[in-house]
Amino acid sequence: MPLPQIDSVVAKPKHAMPYNAKRKSKLATYVCMPLAVVVLLLVAYGLLICWSATSNDTAYSFTNQLVGVLGGLVVMAAVTAFDYRKFTGMYVVMLVVSCVLILSPHLPIIGVNAMGAQSWIRIGVQVQPGEFAKVTIVLFAASLVARYGGKLNDLREYCKVVGLLVVPFLCIMTQPDLGTGLVYLFIAATTLVMGGAKTKYLLVSLGIFVAAIVCVFALDELLKYQTEDGSTEYRLLKQYQRSRLLVFLNQDSLEATDEGYNLKQAMIAIGSGGLFGKGLGASTQSALGFLPEAPTDFIFCVLAEEFGFVGVVALLALYIAMVAISLHIARSCDNLFGMLVICAIVGMWMFQILENVGMCCGLMPITGIPLPFVSYGSSFMLVNFAMLGLIGSVYSHENRVGKGMKYATAR
Amino acid sequence: MLEGIIAAIATVLVVASIALLVYILRGRSSRSDIVSNDEIESIETYGVGSASPAGASASPGGAPGVHVKTSEESLAKPSQRLSGRFGGLAAFVAAVFAALGAKLWSMQLLGNAGYADEARENLMKTVSTPAPRGCIYDRHGRVLVKNNPSQTVLAEASVADDNDVIKRLSAVLGIPEGVVRQRVKDESQGAQSQRVVASGVRLRDVAFISEHSDAYPGISIEQRTLREYPYGALAAHALGYTGAPTEEELEKTPKGRVIESNDIIGKSGVELYYDGILSGEKGSRRMVVDAAGKVVNVVGETDPQKGSDVHLSLDLHAQYVADKALAETIAPEGDIGTGAGVSASVVAMDLRDGGITVMANYPTYDLTHLTDGIPQDIWELYNSEESHSPFINRAINGQYPPASTFKAFTAMAGLAYGFANYGSTWRCTGEWDGFGSGDIQKCWELKGHGTLDLHGGIVNSCDVVFYDIAKSFFDHGPEGTGELSETALQEYIRQYGFGDATGIDLDGESTGRVPTPEWKADQWRNVPSEALWLGGDYSNMIIGQGDMLVTPVQQACAYCAIATGRILKPHLIKEVRNGAGDVVFSAEAEVVAEPDVDNDHLEYVRRSLHDMLASNNMLSSMYARLGVDAAAKSGTAEHTDREDDAWFAAYAPYDDPRYVCVCVVEQGGSGSTVAGPIVGKVLAALQESDENPEAEAGYIGGSSGVSRVKEFKGGGGRQD
Repeated sequence: MPLPQIDSVVAKPKHAMPYNAKRKSKLATYVCMPLAVVVLLLVAYGLLICWSATSNDTAYSFTNQLVGVLGGLVVMAAVTAFDYRKFTGMYVVMLVVSCVLILSPHLPIIGVNAMGAQSWIRIGVQVQPGEFAKVTIVLFAASLVARYGGKLNDLREYCKVVGLLVVPFLCIMTQPDLGTGLVYLFIAATTLVMGGAKTKYLLVSLGIFVAAIVCVFALDELLKYQTEDGSTEYRLLKQYQRSRLLVFLNQDSLEATDEGYNLKQAMIAIGSGGLFGKGLGASTQSALGFLPEAPTDFIFCVLAEEFGFVGVVALLALYIAMVAISLHIARSCDNLFGMLVICAIVGMWMFQILENVGMCCGLMPITGIPLPFVSYGSSFMLVNFAMLGLIGSVYSHENRVGKGMKYATAR
Repeated sequence: MLEGIIAAIATVLVVASIALLVYILRGRSSRSDIVSNDEIESIETYGVGSASPAGASASPGGAPGVHVKTSEESLAKPSQRLSGRFGGLAAFVAAVFAALGAKLWSMQLLGNAGYADEARENLMKTVSTPAPRGCIYDRHGRVLVKNNPSQTVLAEASVADDNDVIKRLSAVLGIPEGVVRQRVKDESQGAQSQRVVASGVRLRDVAFISEHSDAYPGISIEQRTLREYPYGALAAHALGYTGAPTEEELEKTPKGRVIESNDIIGKSGVELYYDGILSGEKGSRRMVVDAAGKVVNVVGETDPQKGSDVHLSLDLHAQYVADKALAETIAPEGDIGTGAGVSASVVAMDLRDGGITVMANYPTYDLTHLTDGIPQDIWELYNSEESHSPFINRAINGQYPPASTFKAFTAMAGLAYGFANYGSTWRCTGEWDGFGSGDIQKCWELKGHGTLDLHGGIVNSCDVVFYDIAKSFFDHGPEGTGELSETALQEYIRQYGFGDATGIDLDGESTGRVPTPEWKADQWRNVPSEALWLGGDYSNMIIGQGDMLVTPVQQACAYCAIATGRILKPHLIKEVRNGAGDVVFSAEAEVVAEPDVDNDHLEYVRRSLHDMLASNNMLSSMYARLGVDAAAKSGTAEHTDREDDAWFAAYAPYDDPRYVCVCVVEQGGSGSTVAGPIVGKVLAALQESDENPEAEAGYIGGSSGVSRVKEFKGGGGRQD
């Protein structure tokens, strides 16, 4: 096999970016400028909303959020500089790291039980390792699926892959944290789909997944029992979990439960925003405390109330741009692993956006999933920047043709 | 539905245009910054496809000397084989954003108005600010009831379970913990309403609680205006007390009024009857509140308007004299049973306009204890049997046989029907059996009065004279000649208002009773042997004994007819003055009825009543000393199972009647000895008050609620 004719590539001044190095800044070879601009806008927008949402609530500190963003930028730069390809094939390591992270809140000293879930650890600051595990799970899923070179047609292998991909989900259900678990599942599913698993297998898996959900509810119906005070208690899903999952289905009687009340207030916040919103800091629903968890899970409502439909569309447009550019980078990537990493990240973002915004406007069940780059919380902010770092790493390492070429040939 | 579809389409368009924008942006940037798909493909081709010979540069502006080689079989970018999957992912992304956009469009643009209303409803709250009640004055403008602003600490029902809060309240207010807990648990004002922990709290304590509201969840402070009663129990029943409304009172709120559970409303007496006038107009305050109910700012406010002041026809001095006289008669040592009788009522009326100048009852209650509902201990004390029900307004609800005070009216009946005339004489032997039934009826004077005429019959209150008149009614009735109906006597009597409510401005007035054959048949329908109307029923009724019942206020109105020839509607109100002090209502004399009687007869009876008083040495000297020239009639209602009720009715001055006063002392014994002096004092006090509006008045205490009445051992006969 002859060596690639690098000379001829170098001779292509207009199209292959690296050869524009004289005209373009050196930074542009490492950083995807459009993505950087979009993310910058998105983070700024998110900080604005977060500032507005936290300004009335002393339980939240905007400074923390700022620190999270700054820390995120550092993390992003570090990850971008790191060659993601070093992770290739390290799925076992990533799986182990993920599981350790997810299970760490069960450890005796550092584990913290908050609101009935073992989701937090305290190491100086209180962090949610399940959030950080998203990064390793993205790498785990991508490296696992990338092994099959874009073709996963063998049933045995497919089952093996699926079996491994479900492990993090099972781990997080011990906390339990269904919301984050669903994010893991969605990352795994996106990787499988984009990794070229056979369509038939995918459809059957989807069928089994749906059937499993139905089974859980059906089985619960059989297993339910009467508690001493006469109320009905289920064994698999607790009453509050059921009501959170099902509240969006009967919106006519929202006042009955706490979840219903929260959803109603969230919808009022969004709906009362109108076209242009009430203005920054002029929200009544969140500023006066009617909206629960305003800076975290329901921050989208604050945005919708203060900036209206226009503000909402702006946010969605920024998300669309971010996703589109990311997918574009994925498509242009020479490396299947890199491509899958980006797709998994996009899958994660899409699920979080869908679930968070959908939950706020009554389209989806209520789960505690934060909105990327907007919700209050430095753990998730760091994770998102790490994800951006991964995309940046893929972009920069695949676009420096020399390395990329070398890699491609080496393979 | 249609709107939803339009919204969805519009959103898809918006999303599509955004996607297009992004695409254009991307295209532009890819041309400069990003390596586009095509270009990458070509690079890739360089990298791995160089083995194949075919192909040229894919770049349009390919520089000379570039030899780009492409091959279809070459190892493509990984995304190439998966472009279908990419398409799927893109479709998913588009669907997610389209769905979210559509939903948000429908919520924010189409459903905006509804949600905006709900948001406003969330945060706007209107609370009403209570209006101070109007004050109550006597006929000379002397204050009887006034207002006293009071800081009140209120607790939600849930506080009962919060020991910390109860402990802190106890420490701040200086009330024992047990008492605080008991008050918080008190459901007498309704299970849902806030409970009063303390009234009249010091301002610095109130400030402390307000400043540390975090430590006092469920506790609120309210400035209420509580009633203040300078004279304690004086005229307690006429004035009435106030308190928070009960559940029932909240439900049947009168038209045009808004009563909230924290309001203070009239519960009895004038406070209840004129509640609408006294209560005033509530102010309202429209506020923005946060989710915790904390006021963020006040948007609008209207000030409350104080209730109108009510001036009563009551005379403070005479009322004081009456209340004091009753207490001294019945409970000179503080407890019932240490004097004469167990309970009593005095009513005096102004004969010129019908204004009630005195309405006193015993036992009575001190209004000062009832400024904010009835405290539990008072409620229990006054609900015991031996307290003799201090809350009953006996002036309108006490129903007693009128006894000989009734003879003034039955004498008029006898004269009217010609069964007695100025010349008729009777012989009283102390016994009478006019119906020949063998069932001998006795005169109260068992020795007999000898021969006397009607005048003598009234003056001496001779029963035999009236038995005989009763017999005449019976003889001319259906059982006799049939000239008269069997209720001729009753109908005549009813002319004076007996058996009907007087229409006084108080709630729940009793009507008394004028027995008729029909009534008796109904009363004894289960005992047919007793149901028959007999001649004895006439003779019992004609001397005011037996089944005949009147209330003190009825008796006052009836004597008004004797004194003036007309019946006035009694009323406590004199005038109403609004906040500016202008008189907006002034009570005038309202003639309810003018009994169809012969003026000569009336004059005859009046003279007899005048002489009756003169014939009683004790009373006549007392009245003379007091300067009261009255016409009067005593009465003693006989009971077989308890001491007799003492009655006395009088009006004065005799030649120009201004006041009528009646008094009944339940189980008091002789009318002239027990009730007569009380009436004399009241009439004297009224006359004095006319000349000296500043006459003495003082504090009246509530009754002790304790009874020391000895067991009844049978009476020694009646002594009118």
